[in-house]
Order: sequence, then structure tokens, then C-alpha cells
Amino acid sequence: MMIGATKQAVGGLLTSFRAKFVALIGAAVLLSLLMGGAIALWNVQQLSRDASSEIESGLSKATEEYLTRYIDMTAQRADLMFARTYDQVNLLAQFSQSLIDQPALGTEISTLLGEFPNFQDTLVYNPKGNWVQNSEGGSSVVSVWGYLLDNSGNMQPGVEQAVRDTSNFGLIAPYIMTTGPSKLQSYYLGPRAYPFLRTTPFSEQAQTFDKLYPGHNDQNWWDFFFPGIYEAWQGWAGHPEARPVQTEITVVAPYVDAVTGKLIVSFFHPLYTQSRKDVAGIVGVDVTPDQLTELIQGVKIAESGFAFLAQQDGNVVTIGQAGESLLGIAPEKIEGSGVQSFDMSLANSRFADIANLKVPPAGTTTITEVTVDKDGTPQKLIVALHPLAAMNMWQPNAGILAQNMVIGFVVPDSEIYASLYAAQNEIAAATNRIAQGILISIVSFLIVVLAVSVEISRRFTAGLVVLADAAGRLARADYDIQVPIRGRDEVARVGGAFNTMAREIREHTETLEQRVADRTRQLASANDEIQSLYVKLKDENIRMGAELDIARRIQAMVLPTLAEHNRIPDLEIASHVEPADEVGGDYYDVLYTQGRARIGIGDVTGHGVESGVLMLMVQSVAMALHERGLDDPNVFLEVLNRAIYKNIERTQSGKHLSLAFLDYADRSITISGQHEEFILIRKDATVRRIDTIDLGFPIGLEEDITAFLSSIQVPFEPGDMMVLYSDGVTEAESETGDLYEMDRLIASALRHHQKTATDAVVEMIADLKAHIGTQKVHDDITLVILKHR
Amino acid sequence: MEIKTAEYNIWAEGAIIHYEGTLRLSGTDAYQDILTMMQAVLAGNPPMITMDLTQLEFLNSSGINLLAKFTIELRKHPDVAVKVLGSTRIPWQSKSLPNLQKLHKGLELVLA
Repeated sequence: MMIGATKQAVGGLLTSFRAKFVALIGAAVLLSLLMGGAIALWNVQQLSRDASSEIESGLSKATEEYLTRYIDMTAQRADLMFARTYDQVNLLAQFSQSLIDQPALGTEISTLLGEFPNFQDTLVYNPKGNWVQNSEGGSSVVSVWGYLLDNSGNMQPGVEQAVRDTSNFGLIAPYIMTTGPSKLQSYYLGPRAYPFLRTTPFSEQAQTFDKLYPGHNDQNWWDFFFPGIYEAWQGWAGHPEARPVQTEITVVAPYVDAVTGKLIVSFFHPLYTQSRKDVAGIVGVDVTPDQLTELIQGVKIAESGFAFLAQQDGNVVTIGQAGESLLGIAPEKIEGSGVQSFDMSLANSRFADIANLKVPPAGTTTITEVTVDKDGTPQKLIVALHPLAAMNMWQPNAGILAQNMVIGFVVPDSEIYASLYAAQNEIAAATNRIAQGILISIVSFLIVVLAVSVEISRRFTAGLVVLADAAGRLARADYDIQVPIRGRDEVARVGGAFNTMAREIREHTETLEQRVADRTRQLASANDEIQSLYVKLKDENIRMGAELDIARRIQAMVLPTLAEHNRIPDLEIASHVEPADEVGGDYYDVLYTQGRARIGIGDVTGHGVESGVLMLMVQSVAMALHERGLDDPNVFLEVLNRAIYKNIERTQSGKHLSLAFLDYADRSITISGQHEEFILIRKDATVRRIDTIDLGFPIGLEEDITAFLSSIQVPFEPGDMMVLYSDGVTEAESETGDLYEMDRLIASALRHHQKTATDAVVEMIADLKAHIGTQKVHDDITLVILKHR
Repeated sequence: MEIKTAEYNIWAEGAIIHYEGTLRLSGTDAYQDILTMMQAVLAGNPPMITMDLTQLEFLNSSGINLLAKFTIELRKHPDVAVKVLGSTRIPWQSKSLPNLQKLHKGLELVLA
């Protein structure tokens, strides 16, 4: 029972009120938590988007500022580097110009210096190259080209003087070389008339020239190496305003230096004649772009960000291999235009974005986002461009123009925004963490709420569960159940009502059981009685059935046959004898011997075999007496009474009978004995009732009835009808309890007296049965009709 | 003394025996209780026994036999006067009660 109850409780958990309650709470909380969580998540995501966007814009701005400052700073350093080179070139130029402007001093110094071996120019003719050049060991090397020599290989007089006048160059140039920005070489170049070359430090420069620039000795140096530059300077002479940029210094775009074979940038400063009408040669220094490159390559932005230096036309001067590749550019050698130049223009980049880059105005920085292709995948680059200070720049085929070199910074977008992406990733991660946190808190809270609501619902529904269990037990007929009442809520009220009902049911059931037990005992005892009675009744019934059978057979035995009815000449006799359920003792006989007719009718008291036997005795005695020829009715009855009386005494039956006789002879009837009234219906329908009370006495009551015997004689003519009957006819009850009585019998006889006796009997019995209906027949019914033929 | 059923009621007031209703008992034995009661009244040896049959609507032949037997017994007590009260309204009484008088000459029959 307990196991069953537990199972039921478990099964009920899913469908119980409590489960629904918990589910409702859970659903409500879950819904609100989910909504809250969703809103929180949405907010967090919005926030992260905002933060990301804010950071992006902030970072972009910071990056721009950083790049701008960095490139400005780098540009300033580059400008400064150029300025220092300018300063030294200017110093060198001022020194040389001052000696030009003071020829006497120059000559004196040269003469003075000529006495120091270090400043003695011992020029040796080189027949192979057709030039003269001093040998190693001096402070500088002087190369004088063939076209400045005479046929014997000696310098033309003016040239020799000029060489001698420039020996002072060795005074200052070595110091220029050892101070300031690192320089490849510094030199003096003579005017167009005698463009010899004096260079510090010493190197076999003519040999190098011959090797790198074959044929240079066949043409004026200026025209060969820097066509147009000299003419430009000549234009500046006396007209400083003609300079594109207000400085004497002209920068030559990077080229391969004939002396060192290195890629160099040369800074030229023209010298002028004393009158400033013409160019008197130049001084210059060569700076390798590597020195700029040190600066440029010192630029490191993020992971792989780099800087490059370009000319205004986009020709990149300094850039790393990786940078060339990234920007899609490659150096191209420009042939046949003096010094060896290289072109590596951005405009020739294979990437449109790079090719379209525009140099910003001086002093400003542009930051452009471009897309290039790196190893087959697009890559975004941020390119910052900042022009350097304008300078006079000579380019092959272009002459001297004011040009701004440009510093460019290139950094992959992904790197510069690496922190942004990192921040965004961090924000996304944080968002995820927040989302997870929200989810965990939702689940945790839901678990807590469910746990709490399970507990609360247990308390809420405890009363209901107890009630449900109790109702289940009540249903299983455990009427002793009572539920505990806690609190005063509706459940408690239901519990109270339940207890009351359970109590009433129990009391009722207990009383009922007691009642049923009592009644069962009564029934059992009654049943015993019934059983015993039944046994008795069964015996009694068998006995009575047997007796009834015997009584019927006796009655049937003694009744006259149809033949006996019809053997009397004048009389038609018909009869109806109907025994009751319990056969009575009606007697009726037709005696006829030797012309003497006698009809007897009687009624023995009581029922059954005894009555039947008494009737049989009466019949036998009557038959015997009639056969003996005893005609006197009184004697007949007296003898019969005596015989019967004695037999009754012997048998102690205590019964008696009424008995009357009707004798017929010669249209006359004699009636004797006491019985019911005789009814005589004349042919003319007149009725005569013949009372027999005073004609006799009950047979068997008294030994001697002589004193009571009498007889009466009435005529019985043709058409007349005599009605004989037993009291079973007159005392027959209708359904309403009315007796048939004489009046109804006489009326019936009158209705049928013209018919034959047989028909009259049938009709009169029909009338009688109509009266009786379904009522019980208490007594034998005997009806005898005599009709005079 | 009283014998009462739904059909009939027979009771004795001193020496007066009242009969009411319909008596249709089956056989002489069935009337034994009534006879015993009547004999008990007789055993009291009253100066007169009265049988009031005026309310007895029906009596079957066994019942008439009972009355006859009791009348014959009364004949043996000449010192006890007997009165039978009957009603001409009831057919069986005027038919059968005169027989009682024939059985017992001292019996006073009053048919009213």
C-alpha cells in the first residue's frame, strides 16, 4: 500500500497541482529572466559596438596623430640632416668662394701650402685614360681630363694654375669629411672651362670614372654628367632670385657615383666669379642615401611598418626590399643621361592605390588607406606622406626644379589597428563572458527559484497532497482517515470538511455494518426457519397433493356416469361438478332401480380425504338402501343417518353432512332431508323455492334424527325445471367479495329454463363463472338441473 | 380471551362470546383454538352462555360443524342456559342456526 502510494505520489508529481504551480513560477521567472537577459545582452552588445566604434575612432585619431607626429618628427630629422649637410656644403663653399673673391690670398695660401708635401699635387699622366691624376698619399685627389691637357700630356697653363689655386681645398675638406653627417666624399669641380675634379679623400677616381662612364673623357665633364645644370647655375649668377629655392645648394637625385660606385646623393654648391657674372666651379659633398636610409629605416611602426623616401615625382629613393615588394615598385635604371639614375616611381606601382598617391603640400601630412595585394590576398595599408623642405633638385632631362622630397610611412592596417582588433576581440570576449555570466546567473537564479518554489509549493500543496492521499485512502475504504489541519486557509477548510465527511462516512459505515450484521443474523435465522418450514411444507405439500389426488379420485369414482343420468324416462338430468383447490365433500348421485328414481345431493363438512371417504360411505349406504327397495324417504334417511353416525363415531372424524333426496314418480317430486333450498322453475317461468330446513337434519350429528325428518311433494310437469346445488354456488365470491346468492342463481335459471338441462347447466355455470371472475373458488361447485322432458 | 386475525375476531366478555367477520377455516382441526376458547368459557360454569353471531358474516360448513358440536356439548350441562344471537340479514344463519335449537331444546335462538 505504501509502495503504491509512493508511486502514485511520484507519478502525480508531473501532473499534480504542485508541479503546475512550480512550472508556472518557473516559466514566469524564466521568461522574465530571459527577457532581462536578452535586454542585458543587447545592451552589452550595443555597448561593445559603441565601445568598439569609440575605440576605433579614438584609435584612428590616435594613430593619425601618432603617424603625423612621427612622420613630422622624422621629416624634421631628415630636414635637419639635409640642413647639416647644407651647412657643411655652405661652409665649404664660403671658404672656397672667399678665396675666389680674394685671389691674392688664395694664391698666397696655395703657394704656402705647396711647400707641404701633403698639399703638393704631383700629377701623373695616364696615357690609357688620357688624364692626369696625383698619386696616393695627398689630402685629396685631383683628376684633370685629357681635354684639359696639351699634346704632351701636360696641363694647359690655365688649368695648372687653377689646380694650384684649389690646393687650399685640402685644408678644410678633410675636416668637413670628419665632422657632421657622414659623407662619402667632398670635392671641388672646376668651371666649364676646366672642369677638373679635386676630391677628398683620395681615391682612384679617374680609373673608376673610366670604368663606369666610358667616354666621359671625350666630352666636357658637365655636359657629360649633368647636362643643363651648369647653365642653370650660370642663370643664377648675379640673379639669386632665379633659384627655385632660395639656397645655392642643388641636390642631385640619387645616382651611382662614378668614383665609389655607390648610389649617392650629391649636394652641389656653385661658386661664382668675383664679379658674380659666371660660375667659377662648385664644391659639393656626396652623401650616400644609406645615411638617409638609416634615418628612414630607423622608423619602425608596429610590426612591419616602415618608412620610405621619395622624390616629389614619386620616385622612391630609399626603401627596403620588403617595402618595394609591398608597394609594388621596382628600381629601373635610366640609361644615357649623364650619371646613372634610378627610377622607382610610385606612379609605376602595380597597385592602383599606390600609383594614385598624391604628394601633399609642404608642411602637411596626408594619411591614406590603400589596398594592395600581398601574396594574393588584399591587404590594407595606411600610408602617411609628408614632404620635406623644398630643395633645388637636378634631375636628368629636367634640369633644376624646386622639389620636395617626401617621406612616406607605410604600415599595414591590421598592425596599426592590431590594438583595435585586440580591443574589439577583448570586447567581444568580454561580451561573451558577460553573456555567459548572464546565462549562468539566469540558470542559477532559475534553479534557486525552482528550488524555492518547489519548497514553497510543497508547503502550499502539502495540505492538498495530504487531502489527495487521504481521499485515495477513503476511496480504498479506509474510513479511519483524518487529515491534520494547519492554518486557516481554504485548504484547511477543505481539510476540515473532509474530516467531517470522513467521520460521518465512518460512523455511517460502522452503523451500516452493525445494521447489516444484525439484519444478516436475522435473515440467517429467518432463513433457517424458512428452510425448516420449507422442508415441512414440502412434506405437507406432497402429503396434501397425495390427499387431494385421493379425494379427487374418490369424488370421481362415486359421481354418476352419463348413462346413469339418462336412464330415467321422464327426466333429463345434467350436472356440473367442479372440485375446489382443496376438494370439498359435495355429494351427488342418481339412483334408478326398477322404475324408482332418486336423486341425492349433499355436502360433507370440511375438505380432503376424510370428507371424501364420508361421502363415499354416504353414497354406498344410499345405493345399498335404494337397491334394497327402501322407498319411504324418512326411513331411508333415518337408516342412512344411523349407519353414518356410527361410522363417524368409529372413525372419530367429527364431521357431518347435509343431505337431501329428490324422488320422482309420475310427474311428482318428493323432497326429503335437509340441504340448500331447491328451486323449481315452472314451464311458465314461475319460481318456487323449496326450503329444506324443516325436512331433515344434518347427517352424522345425532344418532336418531327421526323427530326432525319430513318430506314435501310437488308436481313436476313437462317443461318444469328443478335446480339443485351446493353452497359452493350460492356462496361463490365475486372479485369484489359479493356472494352469488339465491337471487342471482334464480335469475340465471330463469334465463335458461327453456333450454335443455344440458344447455341450461352450461349457461348457468357460464353466468356463475362470470360472477366469480378471477376470484378464488373456496368450495366445490355442484349444479344439477332436472328437466321434465 | 381473544382470537383475532385480519378476517375475523372472536372474543369472550365473561360468558358472552362475540364472533365477527368471516370464518372460512379449513377443516375441523383449524377450528380447535376457537372451540378451546368456547370450552374455557363453559368450564367457568356460568349460568348462561351467550354466543353473539350477529356480526359473523360468513361461516363455512366446518364452522357450522363446530357450533353443532359445541351445542351438543352444552346439552350435557342443563344448568347452563344458552342463548344464540343471530341475524336474518345473513343467509347462512337463518339456514343453519335452527339446527342448533333442534340439537339443544334449551338453546334460546334469537334471530333478529
